Amino acid sequence: MKRFEVKMQNSFSPTEFIAVVNQTLEYAYSPVLVTGEVASFKVNQGKWVFFDLKDEESSVSCFMVLWNMRVPLEDGMKVTVRAVPKLTKWGKFSLTVDAVRPVGEGSLKKAYEMLKKKLTAEGLFDPAKKRPLPTDLTRLGVISSTQAAGYADFIKIINARWGGMKVSVAHTQVQGMDAPDQIIKALKYFNERGEVQVIAILRGGGSADDLSCFNDEALVREIAASRIPVITGIGHEVDESLADLAADVRASTPSNAAEMLTHDRAEELAKLERAMNRAKQSLLARVEQARVDNRNKVGNISNSLLTKYVEPMFAANREKISKVLTRIQDELERKATLVRHKQELLVVLNPEKVLRQGYAILSGKISPGSVVKITTLKQDIKAEIKEIYERRENES
Amino acid sequence: MSEEKMSLNQKIEELDGQVEWFYSDDFKLEDATSKYKEAVKLAKEIEKDLNELKNEIEILAEDFSK
Repeated sequence: MKRFEVKMQNSFSPTEFIAVVNQTLEYAYSPVLVTGEVASFKVNQGKWVFFDLKDEESSVSCFMVLWNMRVPLEDGMKVTVRAVPKLTKWGKFSLTVDAVRPVGEGSLKKAYEMLKKKLTAEGLFDPAKKRPLPTDLTRLGVISSTQAAGYADFIKIINARWGGMKVSVAHTQVQGMDAPDQIIKALKYFNERGEVQVIAILRGGGSADDLSCFNDEALVREIAASRIPVITGIGHEVDESLADLAADVRASTPSNAAEMLTHDRAEELAKLERAMNRAKQSLLARVEQARVDNRNKVGNISNSLLTKYVEPMFAANREKISKVLTRIQDELERKATLVRHKQELLVVLNPEKVLRQGYAILSGKISPGSVVKITTLKQDIKAEIKEIYERRENES
Repeated sequence: MSEEKMSLNQKIEELDGQVEWFYSDDFKLEDATSKYKEAVKLAKEIEKDLNELKNEIEILAEDFSK
């Protein structure tokens, strides 16, 4: 009786009771992850999604807004939902779902194919929309978990291959239910600022389940809508996500993305050497060619100068030039006459001529006892002077 | 564009252009020596950059989980 009285004193209205239960549930189970098979899936008024989540023995009702349904669902798919347990105002128990993702190979594949078909039809993966990566990359945005091995590989490779880049890293989750929204926020961050030339979304290898966040519809749409070109390096070579299809460039792994984004230092050094050798060889060849060409060019230039400048100048000043030429001619002739006279005089004065006539030439100091040289036509004679007499002109 | 502000890639492109000049119709023997010296200087600068330039990695302070 007493216990009943206590209860009476704490009596709730139905609304109060439901509110208290919901508060308790929220405290105890918020949020809760539940995995099961989808049944009785339906969408009402294009906004509200209802389905049951069941296993072999039990079933629980689920409710969510269509906006939060980021992967396609259908009956039979196995999914994990993140939800808050609630009593509705009609007293019906249900899970209010804020995130859902398929689990298990079959469901993942099914969801992937359904969304791929839908987005392909919308043209999100159209190859014509793909943009090339800039060849001169200096500012790069990276979206990844800084704890992930794939990220470490990426940084190691870009540092080994290239330098001079500013790399801004947005640290986000890259698996799990929260990953898509965090990656979307990072994409918006880079796009709003417009400071980077390329955004790289990176994640190393993992299970299909781990990588399923890259098949999130909102994320795929955000990648496709990015104003800044996006490259993805997600998982391994064989893993293909819808994020890869929406990106401008798909690299098979984070390491491959690093290689696609950067030049190779060693290769560039070798190219540099080849370029300088080419320049040197060309320079030498050009110089040699110029040497060969110059002779012909000089001839051609002389002719063209004559035709172009000298001949017209002559025509215009013919009279003056004629007078000048006459004066030069007269002067030359006068000089030639002088030279001729001197030549004739030289002939007359030529000692050889005197010797031929039988005379001799005496050279040396003329004094008694001196040795002198006597030159005849055919001989040079040394002689000593014994005595010197005054010559009388009449004796000859 | 001044060399101070040129990125490594821009410098390499510039050098490619300078080398191509030696094969182009613009080639002038009287400019060749200075052009060659210019190219050698740029090549040395690029080599230095290639060997010394580091990437600047910045982890953003922004919390993307909120």
